Parts: sequence; structure tokens; C-alpha cells
Amino acid sequence: MSKRKKRPVRRPPSGSTPGDTTRTGTKQTGTKGAGTKGAGTKTAGAKPTSKRRPPPRGARRGLLPRWAPWVGIAVVVGAIGIALLLRNTSSASATKPASGQVTSAISSVPAATFDAVGVPSGLAAPKPLPSGTPAVEADGLPLVLYVGAEYCPYCAAERWPLAVALSRFGSFSDLSVTESAGFPEVYPHTPTLSFHGASYTSPHLAFQGLETATNKLGITGYGQLDTLTPEQQRLVQTYDAPPYVTTKGGIPFVLIGNRYVFNGAQYLPDVLRGKSAEQIAAELADPQSGVSAAVVGSANLLTAAICQITGQAPKDVCTSSAVTAAAKDLGS
Amino acid sequence: MRGRTASIIVLAVSAAGLAVSIYLTIAHYTSPRLLACGENGVVNCEKVTTSQQATFVGVPVALLGIGFFAAMFVLSLPAIVDRPGMRAARLILACVGMAFVLWLIYAEIALIGAICLWCTFVHLCTFAIFVAVLVEASRPAVPASQR
Repeated sequence: MSKRKKRPVRRPPSGSTPGDTTRTGTKQTGTKGAGTKGAGTKTAGAKPTSKRRPPPRGARRGLLPRWAPWVGIAVVVGAIGIALLLRNTSSASATKPASGQVTSAISSVPAATFDAVGVPSGLAAPKPLPSGTPAVEADGLPLVLYVGAEYCPYCAAERWPLAVALSRFGSFSDLSVTESAGFPEVYPHTPTLSFHGASYTSPHLAFQGLETATNKLGITGYGQLDTLTPEQQRLVQTYDAPPYVTTKGGIPFVLIGNRYVFNGAQYLPDVLRGKSAEQIAAELADPQSGVSAAVVGSANLLTAAICQITGQAPKDVCTSSAVTAAAKDLGS
Repeated sequence: MRGRTASIIVLAVSAAGLAVSIYLTIAHYTSPRLLACGENGVVNCEKVTTSQQATFVGVPVALLGIGFFAAMFVLSLPAIVDRPGMRAARLILACVGMAFVLWLIYAEIALIGAICLWCTFVHLCTFAIFVAVLVEASRPAVPASQR
């Protein structure tokens, strides 16, 4: 008994691993005197060679094993990692078919609302392409090309006015609603439409809307969706680059025939924050709402640009007061 | 890191966490716009501090932060740091605080979609305390008279 009392205090058995015992035990008891003469014998004069001091006499055992801090750090880091994974799997809402209310609201914004909203200041307008730009067509019709991605918050903002404007020239089917990706993307969870899987028919123009990636982040990045045809790739490589746009390869990328181009959103996605697709759709018809000012105002600019490639058809749309006014904001 | 070092770290970090928690509590009860925090979508203090997750059973989490850091500060004061049971109390409190912070981080990332820099500072303080207390608890306790 007395021998045990004189022994240096050891760590609790629960925290002792064979490796630990060997490492620290050697340092504490494997020295001359302490180790060879045995614990409990006089250790005076037997200086430990180790730099680690043995715990003083009377020291209480640790509450936890020595590796506890490392486990604690690992648990915290692991939990944050799991939270990030959950964010990407559960919080990014799945893409689902747009409700009748949403599709109806997009395609039936009253003419009076278009005219009342006009073109509020602060909206970005499509940039004109130089005269002599080769025709951009599909199936014999002037082409409007959109390339974006479901995770992209600026694409989320831009789809609304693009869908509203295009609905004045034709009709969509199989539109979906979704939202942009969550944290750490800016403007996370911006509610939006998706052109993936949608179709569009119009007697005036052709529309190709491509979403190149999902809003779900996997180990290797966002999942792939639509693949561009060689012709679409050529258009993107040619026109989604300076001098036509400021930033090369930016999305959303919108090419309006051989007349206008832009990448980025016409307004900040912040306007849509916290709203559902149905709420946004419902506010489109109200010219006093911030959503309508941003979406319908941007749609007026897009409509004016599209009228340039459809030969000002349909006439009632292209000669409306808002579109005529917007045309003046577009360079030519 | 010896127990004394750990308790000094806990004491200092608790004081810093307490100060920020008081600031966040004042902002909660007055105007969240008081918070000097950038807003670019991801970093948005106002969105976080006015969210549903900013209160826990009706109590603002900033106020809970004051309670946590004040308690940790007191438990680490030199006068009582070595009293029996204090190490266990600090360990339990640190584990509870860290678990709560993990919930708040999850809420920010997955539910709110924004982070608050002031809140993140508080979370880092809690993490530092958690690690220091774990280190302290994994070392033999040395009576003050033998230090």
C-alpha cells in the first residue's frame, strides 16, 4: 500500500491507451531510480530525463482522458461539416412543377401594369451588339439564348423578367419553380423558376433556356443538368466574353438574336428575398410592389430588345408605351 | 497547458464573450440595425438576429450568452477556480454551451441561410473555452498550494 502511495499519480485507466502508458510511463518511471529501483522506493536524486514533470503529490486525476480535447475538437468540426452537408441536401428546395397560379401570373401581367411600371431607374439594360453581327437563329426564327444554373442567385433573379417578357411573344409549358443554392452562395435561397425541362413555342422567335447545374452541392460540386450543343457553346464562347460583355463566361448569359447581349442580372436578387414563388407571382400585377418594379421593369427592357429581332411583332406589345419608352433606354 | 493557464484563458475569453453578448442583447432589445455588421447576403446580422432561431423558449439567445459567459467567468475566478467540483462544473457548462453553439451554427447555415459576424465571434469564444476546459479536465488537478 505504501508503495502505491508513493507512486507518481497516473492517469485514470479509462483514459490510458497502451500507447499513452508507454510514452508517458516510460518518461515517468523508466528513468533510473524511478524505473529500475521500482516505484515506491526512494526516488530522491533520480532525476527524470523527461522534460515532462510528473504530477505533484496530491494532484487529483484528470476528469477526462488526455485525448479528450482532440475528440472534442473532432466532434465540433464533424458537426459543422454535417450541418454544411444538411444545408446542401435538405435546405435547397427540390425543383417542382410551377403551379397554375405562377404560370398564369407570368403570362398574364396586365398591359396596364407594364405601362405603369415602365422602366424604373437602376435596372441594367441589354447591350447592343455591333451592326453586322451574323444572324443568330434556330429553326428559321431569331433565337433568344439563355444559359444559367439553378444554384446561381443572379440567374434566379433574371429568370422572372425573362419568362415574363418571353410570355408576351409565346407560351411556356413545363416551367418549374425552385430556388438558388443556400449558404455560402450570396443571396441564398432566392426563389425562382427553372428552364430545365421547360418548352417554349412562339410564332415570332425561338427560345433555348439551359440550366447547366443544379442547386444541390455534392462532393464534386453542383450536379450537372443541361449540356450545351456545339452551336450553343460557340455562341457562349463568342458573345459571353469581352468586348460584348464585361466579364467572360458570366451567368446568367442572355443573347437576344444578333442584336443584344448581357450577362448578370438586371436587378439585385435581394428584392425576392423571403418570398415564395406564389407571392412573387401574385405581386407581378401590382405596379406598386417592389417585385413588380424590378421584374416587370426588367421585362419591359427585354421586351423592347426582343421586339428588335421579331420585326416589332406582335404589334400591340412592341408599340405599347412602356416598350416604346424602354426601347429608348436600349442602345442600338 | 496547465490548469492555471487554462483557467486564465477561460477567464479572458469569457470576458470577451460577455462583452459581445451584452452588445448583441442591447441590439436585440433596441434595433438590430445597431449591429455594425456587413450585409452582402451571406453575412447578414440583422437577418440572423431577427430570425425565429434568435430566441430559445422565448429567451433571446444573446441573453443566454450573457448567462453562459458570466457563469464561466465566475467559475474561473482565481478565488474559486480550485474549489471542489469547479472543474466538473466548468466542464459541464462548456459542453452545454458548445452543444448550443453547434445548434446555432446549424440554424445559421441550414435554416436562416446567413451568418452574423458578431455571433460567429461568440461561437469562437465558446469553442475556445470548450477546448481550454477539455484540456484542463484531461490533466491532473494540481492544488494551488503546489503550483
